[in-house]
Parts: sequence; structure tokens; C-alpha cells
Amino acid sequence: MTITILNGNPDNGSSYFNSYITDLQSLLKLKGFAVRTFNLREMDIKSCTGCWGCWVKTPGECTIPDDSIEVRRAVINSDWLIFASPLIMGFTSALLKIMQDKIIPLVHPYIELVDNECHHIKRYDNYPKIGLIYGKEPDTDMEDIRIVTDIYKRMALNFKSELIFAESIEFEPEKLANEVIHH
Amino acid sequence: MKLSIINGSPRGKSSNTRIILEKIQEGFSSVDSTFELEEAYLKSEKDIARFRKMFETADILIIGFPLYTDAMPGIVKQLFEALDPKTIKKDLRLGFIVQSGFSESYHSEFIQSYLAKLSRRLGVEYIGTAIKGGVEGIKVQPKWMTKKYLSLFYDLGQQLALDWEFDENTMERLAQPKYLAGSRLMLTKFFIKTGLANFYWNSQLKENKAFNKRYAKPYSE
Repeated sequence: MTITILNGNPDNGSSYFNSYITDLQSLLKLKGFAVRTFNLREMDIKSCTGCWGCWVKTPGECTIPDDSIEVRRAVINSDWLIFASPLIMGFTSALLKIMQDKIIPLVHPYIELVDNECHHIKRYDNYPKIGLIYGKEPDTDMEDIRIVTDIYKRMALNFKSELIFAESIEFEPEKLANEVIHH
Repeated sequence: MKLSIINGSPRGKSSNTRIILEKIQEGFSSVDSTFELEEAYLKSEKDIARFRKMFETADILIIGFPLYTDAMPGIVKQLFEALDPKTIKKDLRLGFIVQSGFSESYHSEFIQSYLAKLSRRLGVEYIGTAIKGGVEGIKVQPKWMTKKYLSLFYDLGQQLALDWEFDENTMERLAQPKYLAGSRLMLTKFFIKTGLANFYWNSQLKENKAFNKRYAKPYSE
């Protein structure tokens, strides 16, 4: 089993958030998972320009060469994709969102109906299960968590997958690792 | 008095969002031409300070963007993160336009909740988020198709100039259809079954001589 973690924390210091991700990674490795964490703040990832080149020019591949190629390759060959970010202004970081926008090449432009809603069709046979780990802001409330979770549920649906968990870093990493293993 | 408009599309000046925002501006100016107008493109402007300034000086601020992976594009989130509620004009009236490719607007309802909450967090007067589906391809859609909803955006602009609000009824009409149902659902099923739904993509794939590679899986291991 392989897991890809996208750490979208813009702070590089020895923050609690980063050490939580490191702890979780170690726990998952101990339990036999192959885990790869991308620290997005250290990578060169250019914003999606909405050119649709990845759908109509070089199908499946972004036309802007940057470090996101590596991320997409890891993501689509994983059993799990875990988005990780502190909440900033009530949502995951821009750093994470810029990378998230660039997973579009992994789906196909063609449309199908899923529960009578328009969605894109698969490009690959299998898609990773999705998890979300977030850090709260001082003013984060239940409504913020519901909003973020709902958006990631929708994102997972469009990514031909499912949001399996959305947990804050208050949740013990040991318990979270168990949740991933037993799902 | 000042109306500021921020285009948050990563396509900048060639965006579909621009076509919509210009309609709103036209409608607004047709009622009140005394307003100072300021527009800026997130894509082309590297200096985030200019956008922060707009939150400090505008009376009405409209931010428009396309739906990207069920939320705001990364560059729009960058702007939100650069804002400081302490320096924002307290009686600023803030509204959003979110447009998406899929024909039903339901996909945008989730980011709508976020934008309402963001406005509260910023401490501004939230005037609403108008959502509209089926906008991808606006430039190739026949005029009779786009005319109706572009005139609704014009109306939205006119009403904004009169009431300093987004009109609920116009927003409701723009959001139609929220879901696919009835004859529209039947038609979508027909389009998908016959491949007509893929016409827009296929013509571009062929133009780029990439049609044969359309099912490519470059990362398959």
C-alpha cells in the first residue's frame, strides 16, 4: 500500500503541524505503508492557467513543466492521497490549492452523469482514497469545518474518489494511522 | 464613490469571467455614471498590495472567478490570505461571481458558503455570490444561448447601482438550472450517449492533432 501526503503548510519552521505530519508518516511506515510526503513550500509549482492543454494538446500531461509532474505521478499510483494544511482564512492554504488545481490532468475532459450530476470521466483505472488533515485557526468553528469538509467531499467526487476522513491535528496520529490501515 | 472589480481568473484578459464582469459593469454604468471604476486582473498583477488597497478604498467590490476543483483558484486563495481584516474598510460592500463549466450550478453552492463565511470573517457587508453554470465555451456558444444570461448579469449590475445589493431574484434566475432534471436531464443523457457532449473537446483535440492520444495515461506504472 502506498500513501502520498501533500503538505501545504507554508511555514517551514519546526511547527507543530509539520511535526504532526512527520509523526504520522513514521507511524504509517512502521505499519508497512510506503509513504511519500511532498513539502510543497520547497517545490516549484506554477499556477494552473486554465489553458486546457492537459486535455486537448498533451492529453494527461500539463504543458507547464514544473515539479507538479512528480506529484501527479505519485498521486495516481497511490492507494491514498492525503491533503494536509493549516486552515488560513477558513480554508486550506493557497500553496495546497495551487497544487490541487494541477491534478486536473489526471481526469478526462469527457463528461458522464453521476447521480444525475455532470462529472468528468476517469483517465486512469484506479484513483486513490482521499483524506484531509487540517490545523485550526484560533477562530475556527464548526461551520468552517463543515464548509471545508463539504468542498473536499465534492472535490473527491470529481476526482473519481471519496473523502474518507477529514481530521484536525488535535486527533491523535496513532488513531489516524489506524483509521487509514483499517479502511 | 468607487466600484472596484477584481477578475480572479487564471486566464486573465482572455477569461470567460471577464465577459461576465464587463456585463455587470455596463449595467452598473448605465444607471450611475458618477462612480469611479477600477478593475484589476489577479493574473497579470504581481503586486498584491494593489488588491489590498482595493479592499481599503472601494465602496463596492466585486470578485469574479471560475470554479477550480470545486473551490476558488489558487491565485484567488493567495489574495484572501493577503487580506488583513483590520485594514479593510468597515462598510465595504463585497460580492462574488462564481462561474463553472458544468451546466448545473449546484457545483458552486459549496464555495458560496465559504464566501459568505469569509465576508463575515473580514467584517464587511456581504451582498451575495451569484453562481452560474455552463459558462465554459461561452465564446463558441451561439448568441441566442448567451444573450439571455448575459442580460441577467447586466440586470444584476443595474440593480447593484440602484440598491448597492445583488438582487435575490436575479441571482436565483442566474443559478438556473441548479440541478439537471426533466427534459434537461433527458437531453444531457442524449448528448452523452451520442457523443455530442464531447464535441467541444473533440474539435480542440483534433485541431491540436491530439485526438488519437485523448485516452493517454502518461503516469501509468
